[in-house]
Amino acid sequence: MGMKDGGFERKTKASSTIPSSSMADIAFLLLIFFMVTTVFQNERERPIQWPSAAATEQIDEKRDNILYVWLERNGDIWINDRLVPMQDVAAVVGPQWMQSGQRLIISLRADALVPYRFVDLVQEQLKRSGAVYVVFATDLERRMTVER
Amino acid sequence: MAIMNKKSKVSDEIPSASMADIAFLLLIFFLVTTVFPRDSGLRVVLPEEAEEVEVSQRNVLHLQVQPSGVVVVRYGDSEDEQQMTPSQIESVWRSEVAQNPNLIAAVKTHPDAAHEHMISVLDALQLAGAERISLQLLEET
Repeated sequence: MGMKDGGFERKTKASSTIPSSSMADIAFLLLIFFMVTTVFQNERERPIQWPSAAATEQIDEKRDNILYVWLERNGDIWINDRLVPMQDVAAVVGPQWMQSGQRLIISLRADALVPYRFVDLVQEQLKRSGAVYVVFATDLERRMTVER
Repeated sequence: MAIMNKKSKVSDEIPSASMADIAFLLLIFFLVTTVFPRDSGLRVVLPEEAEEVEVSQRNVLHLQVQPSGVVVVRYGDSEDEQQMTPSQIESVWRSEVAQNPNLIAAVKTHPDAAHEHMISVLDALQLAGAERISLQLLEET
């Protein structure tokens, strides 16, 4: 090891600057990644408290085939940024169910503390509209005790 | 024609020096606007409307979710009831379904019970592998 003079006097042959010629390539790579993965949010999220469940699973379905039904704590229902009266839910969901080729998945985003009577009414409306694939939106609950 | 013979002094190449800047601009735009979708939850399939199925009481496990979050468990036609927390249901279901593979979980939730109590019961049932689950509203007596 040529460590004479403590190694301070040694002339280094490696460039001390970060090569910038590939920076544009890196930028383009990231750009393409984000262009491909971006999904523009077409509706605003409602402020709800998410219930959590350990059996939460990911929904593998095209974004177009998922309809969000927001149910707030006071029983208000929001679909596509519109306040929908309870008795009109079936009329709103029904056409979308037919349009999707009967593949529509309803993501029911209900507040954790909403009384169940409202959840039941929404389910009755969804049954009437024909949309039978329902997901109770939850956050994944991470349990402290892990089964081994 | 004089115009045709004129030597153009304008470069016919697209300037590439600013390409990286344009790329970065777009990159930052997409970085800021990207929202990764979080579509997750508990799947259920609702019954078709007016689809009433007669089920023998022997094959039903009644789970009544009370407003307090306590679950009253009653097996089929028997009279004795057990109170338990949602976390206990998973093991109860496993032991009951081992004796009767045709068992159906009837989750009856009180109208005033919070949605999260029903979710925690549904969660326990799905963790235990239950597939035949019926969600109902508990009739007030």
